[in-house]
Amino acid sequence: MKRLQLARDVLDQQLIDRYECNAGKVDGIGLELRDGEPPRVAFLDMGSDVLARRLSPRLERWLQALRKLIGRKTPEPYRVEWSKVVKIANAVTIDIDSDRDAPNHVEHWLAEHLIGRIPGASREKKKKEPEQHNQ
Amino acid sequence: MKNVLKIALGILTSIGGFLDAGAIATSSEAGARYGFRLLWSLAFGTLCVVFLVEMAGRLAAVSNHTVADAMRERFGWRFFVFPLTAELIVDLFVIASEIGGVCLALQFVTGIAFRWWAFPVALLIWLFIWSGSFSFVEDSTAILGLVTIVFVVAVVKLHPDYHAIGAGFIPSMPPKDAPSYWFLAVSIIGAVISPYLLYFYSSGAVEDKWTEKDLNVNRGVSVIGMGFGSLVAMAVLVVAAQTLLPAGIGSDRYEQTPLMLSMVLGKTGFYLFAASVGIACFGAAVEASLSVAYLTAQSFGWTWGEDLPPKDDARFAMVYTVFPILAAAVTFSGIDPLKLTLFSMALTVVILPILLLPMIVLMNDEKFLKSHRNGWLSNAVGVVVVVVAIVLSVVAIPLELIGG
Repeated sequence: MKRLQLARDVLDQQLIDRYECNAGKVDGIGLELRDGEPPRVAFLDMGSDVLARRLSPRLERWLQALRKLIGRKTPEPYRVEWSKVVKIANAVTIDIDSDRDAPNHVEHWLAEHLIGRIPGASREKKKKEPEQHNQ
Repeated sequence: MKNVLKIALGILTSIGGFLDAGAIATSSEAGARYGFRLLWSLAFGTLCVVFLVEMAGRLAAVSNHTVADAMRERFGWRFFVFPLTAELIVDLFVIASEIGGVCLALQFVTGIAFRWWAFPVALLIWLFIWSGSFSFVEDSTAILGLVTIVFVVAVVKLHPDYHAIGAGFIPSMPPKDAPSYWFLAVSIIGAVISPYLLYFYSSGAVEDKWTEKDLNVNRGVSVIGMGFGSLVAMAVLVVAAQTLLPAGIGSDRYEQTPLMLSMVLGKTGFYLFAASVGIACFGAAVEASLSVAYLTAQSFGWTWGEDLPPKDDARFAMVYTVFPILAAAVTFSGIDPLKLTLFSMALTVVILPILLLPMIVLMNDEKFLKSHRNGWLSNAVGVVVVVVAIVLSVVAIPLELIGG
């Protein structure tokens, strides 16, 4: 069995979804504490709140206060169940559709309201290369 | 043949990352004030950057991780947030300096004051990144950048004393005002080792899908690409030493810098000077803006890629849209572009250790580099670079106050 170190091999790794799209980073790891049994890994944590909390709990409170100030709801923390993890190698592959499931509202909002409205935003920049042959 | 084409990436990187506002400003000032005496500083900086760029490319080719990805993964968010923040701040000033360089070139040619060009130039930078693919950005800047060879031509025409040039490669004590001599030596090294170059280069290698098979290309690119940039920067220094120094013109006033080529090549020299500065700074601005987008996207795991339609990586596109505008606002504020450039070089030097030390640790990590970890030579150079970077970052600010 290969040994896995959570902090070295999972935390802060790139997340890849089932369509091989980038789905964020593993910003945190959640453990479940159980009575009379050893704790076990329950989920991967994602999002700006988690990142802020890792620097300092005060920063997280400030971030939430700032959100309140501009009238935004604090989003539910985004969690990926540990059972959705498919592969841990060069990146962590998870069985979700990041386009729909991941905390992607900023990306969607920008794509729809700002970046997507600039001419040329959807244009293919590069012709699809034919499959490469190994020489 | 394909390998030859791949070296284009290196030439772009050298023009954009090596020959930029900082390198041109510090080299010409060094030549105008101290003759060939500071060539050693340029040579030392080149040696460092050749090794660092090779490491960034090797990391990307072997591990398929960019420098930013690997740093966050290896050292964790709580450490990574510091180099990330520092780099973003420095990049803002670096891009502002590069935009300032392009604006000055336009001022030389049109007579319209530089600050009015700031936003149009930012728009052009954005348009370039927005519409071009990675290879378009790479190749067009590389081809246009060839105009900077004019400095090498000028050196040949000036028939300098090549023995005296050779002597400049041996560090010597300054003849007078030591603090400004050392400040300039520090600034040159800061100008040559641009951290954004490492983020950019490793991202480019991932965009181009480098693998272990490309390690030889990577080595060639680092040496030839950086060597080309360095050669031109040295030519700038020599030309300044041969023209501005005897005429008693300091290059601390930007209005006078075009004289260094017009004294050799007449009116054509004047235009070629403007074109060289404009293109080199434009290439650097494009590269640095793209580098900021890479760095941010990779720090948070967003989708990124210069070859994707912007709508498919909207956050990445947003960063390279917003950053040049912010930088243009700094340029537009009217700060003397030359002072701004020297300031951002000093700032770069201050943050160097926090990037370079983890980089060297990373390059010895088997998890990322497998059997291609640093050898003794790379590590020896790496340790020297880190020690020098720490010393420089401590002395940069006091030296700027005394000698800048």
